[in-house]
Amino acid sequence: MQTVIFGLAYGAMYSLMALAIGIVFSTTRIINFAYASVVMTGAMVAYWCIGVYKLPYLAGLAAGIGFNIILCVLLYKLCVEKLGNLHVNLGWIITLFGAALIIDNLALMAFGTQSNPFPFLFGGKRIDLFGANILLHEIFIILIAAVIGLSYQMMCSRTKIGRALRAVSHNPQTAQLMGINSTFIIILSFALAGVVSAIAGCLIAPYTYASYTMTASIGLKGFAAALIGGLGDTKGAFIGGITLGLTEQLLTVLGVSPSLLGSFSFIIMILVIIFLPGGS
Amino acid sequence: MPNMSSATESRQNKYLGALYTLWAACFVLFLLAPFFVGRYYVGYILIIFLYCILSIGYNIASGFCGIIHFATASLYAGGAYTAAILYTEWGLPFALSAILGALVAGIMSFIISFSAYKVHGNYLVLVSFGLLEVVTQILHGSSFTGGAAGYSMARWTFFGEPVNMTVKYYVVFAILVIAFIVQRNIAKSQWGRDFLAMKDNEFAAAGVGINFRKVRIIGFFISAVISGLAGAMYAAYAGYISPDSFGFPLSILILLMVMAGGSGTLSGPVVGAFVISLVPEVFNDQPALKVIFYGLMLIVITQVMPTGIVGKIKEKFREVDANRHIRGVQPETDIDFAKYAKKRDRASEDILVVKGLTKQYWGLTAVSDLDLTVRRGTIHALIGPNGAGKSTLVNCITGLVKPTRGEVWFNGENITGMEPYHLAKKGMTRTYQHVLLFNSMPVIDNVAAGARLDKHYGIFHALFQTRKKRRMDREAYLEAHECLQLLGIADKANDIPESLSAGQQKLLEIGRALIAKPDLLLLDEPCAGLTDSETEQFADLIRKIRDQGISILLIEHHMNLVMEVSDRITVIDHGVKIAEGTPEQVANDPVVRRAYLGE
Repeated sequence: MQTVIFGLAYGAMYSLMALAIGIVFSTTRIINFAYASVVMTGAMVAYWCIGVYKLPYLAGLAAGIGFNIILCVLLYKLCVEKLGNLHVNLGWIITLFGAALIIDNLALMAFGTQSNPFPFLFGGKRIDLFGANILLHEIFIILIAAVIGLSYQMMCSRTKIGRALRAVSHNPQTAQLMGINSTFIIILSFALAGVVSAIAGCLIAPYTYASYTMTASIGLKGFAAALIGGLGDTKGAFIGGITLGLTEQLLTVLGVSPSLLGSFSFIIMILVIIFLPGGS
Repeated sequence: MPNMSSATESRQNKYLGALYTLWAACFVLFLLAPFFVGRYYVGYILIIFLYCILSIGYNIASGFCGIIHFATASLYAGGAYTAAILYTEWGLPFALSAILGALVAGIMSFIISFSAYKVHGNYLVLVSFGLLEVVTQILHGSSFTGGAAGYSMARWTFFGEPVNMTVKYYVVFAILVIAFIVQRNIAKSQWGRDFLAMKDNEFAAAGVGINFRKVRIIGFFISAVISGLAGAMYAAYAGYISPDSFGFPLSILILLMVMAGGSGTLSGPVVGAFVISLVPEVFNDQPALKVIFYGLMLIVITQVMPTGIVGKIKEKFREVDANRHIRGVQPETDIDFAKYAKKRDRASEDILVVKGLTKQYWGLTAVSDLDLTVRRGTIHALIGPNGAGKSTLVNCITGLVKPTRGEVWFNGENITGMEPYHLAKKGMTRTYQHVLLFNSMPVIDNVAAGARLDKHYGIFHALFQTRKKRRMDREAYLEAHECLQLLGIADKANDIPESLSAGQQKLLEIGRALIAKPDLLLLDEPCAGLTDSETEQFADLIRKIRDQGISILLIEHHMNLVMEVSDRITVIDHGVKIAEGTPEQVANDPVVRRAYLGE
């Protein structure tokens, strides 16, 4: 049971990251390769507020979200907007990696190299559930991820903005002609991804500790989860994330060494890309 | 009128003279460098040489084949570890170890190039990422690589004598020169043009007979072998290798070097490697600032200067690249279209027969049980309202989509479901509704690409610049030049296709299809967006081509043109054929008038 909850909790974190990738992908058909750095900045800003300035948890989270929204819009403005047709011009791959380098190293200069403990939700309170002793934090990761995923899904299918989002995802130029402000919708998707990243960052940080390299390895798993589930699909992001989380925990229980585990998600990812390009 | 003014010609000679002098000066400088710089700087330059080699390898993949990836460090590691382990543990001669190391890197490249069968762009980047991560884990985790602590290679000796730094310097220098020549020879051959064509547009590349999957695998293999060789030399130079030297930062550094120098140019990688290698000197005690600077460069260069330093300089000296094969060639006076009629076996009277063709998309029937016969030597028009299924039919004929049911016979052979690149070989070429030209090549190269099937040579001919290669290239360019004269756009031979007018681009596309000497020419809306007088010229051109016995399948909306030039017309609507016959018969058919003309 411990394993399952753990797998689900990790899976939920991967899912949130995959969702952040997916939201941007759904409007622009590009993968935001700088997203792992954005997850990190969300957590670091929140840590700064909570750990250093002793603000309440929610205030820290809000600061992280606010910072990330600005950062993501900047990312779009500075790295993506000028490139024109993103199918023809693959320059965004390079500019976004460049942006990741800049963000990571600015964080290094601003926050230093040390790893800082980040608070669990509810002060790390443990409860007994189904005969397993687990952190309340883990239950809440799963719940929060589910709420975010469902509300994003609802927004896409029920609201006017959601319809505009889907229209832009289909064809930005045509959507523009139909009276949708495509640029605004794309910026909105970057901002939303920023919000999700910040929340993901705060949920991950207690495990990885808050530092400028906190997403170095876990960030890549977000890509794997997004790819395994199928890019740009909300359900896919969760299926991919949960599958990856559960499989990893299962393999850990079976005694697979952590370094092999790291390769594992990538081997699956490569296989999925090659054999099931649309995701599973 | 000479096709290139003598002023341009002498400018080209002057620029080339200066360029070669510059290269020769650099060559001599680095040849003599060990004699007047200290030991520290010899090692320093050697490392820059290794970056140059890696950049050249990466440029072949990204600049020519269009594969942006981050696996450079893995390929480098593959070469380094293989060479070091084989040399140390198995006692193989170093040269052999290095070659085997390069081959291992080449084999690793297949993981990415086979993925490229299925996916592109962002997915490919992730595959390369995955490869990078897996390789890092293997290097860290396994005992035979020495794990995180690294691996010490036995001292490189040659017949018992330890090899000193100066000798290593010259060996690496020699490999750099060879890598540069390899890159140049490939770029200036049909293979290089195939790479660029594939990078620009895979559909159009397949249309001139390029098996782009195979070509991409070969291109990326060469790129990887060069990177692997650099890795082997790094192991020999450093004597000690650890996983930290082969991570993501190295891949991004090489990417930056190629982008800064000029992706897709010949000297760009070398220039970029030197420029970027000198950057760290500015940020000696600020490693984080250095990386931020790298990131800024990536963002700025990609958007402001996508062709890099060398590309920027080249814009000022365009004449250097003017095609030399056609320089000073006098215009022919008595050329006509006769030379594009190729005498193939006439296996059947009808050139194209479509039998009961049906194509369904998720239950939606786009084309339903359609029969179509194009007689040899005729202009056969295919018309129908928007959404009638014309494009689907054309895509089924040209192999872009596989029909659900039915058969396509071409020249007496069943070609149903054949890959597009085979069809060019069999004598079917086409133009596209939305012009698909190779925009990173000059106009003349676009046409020459169409002639590539007749003028084909293997990659070794390209690498060694054999006589056959030179003859084939010359012939291809001369033919292409003739074709341009025939179409009246020979004065644009050295321009880029994007600078041409819409009509000229359409002409260029026909030229590219025509020079392959097809039996059947498929023209997909050749007159869309053209003026009336241009359409008039097209009608004339199409008839001239037909008069040489080349059959034409014409898809067109322009009714005047269709009625004027067609021998037979097939009308389809809602995926079904509703009429067929001569222009008069079709024009008077009541069904057609109702369905198509809306009466």
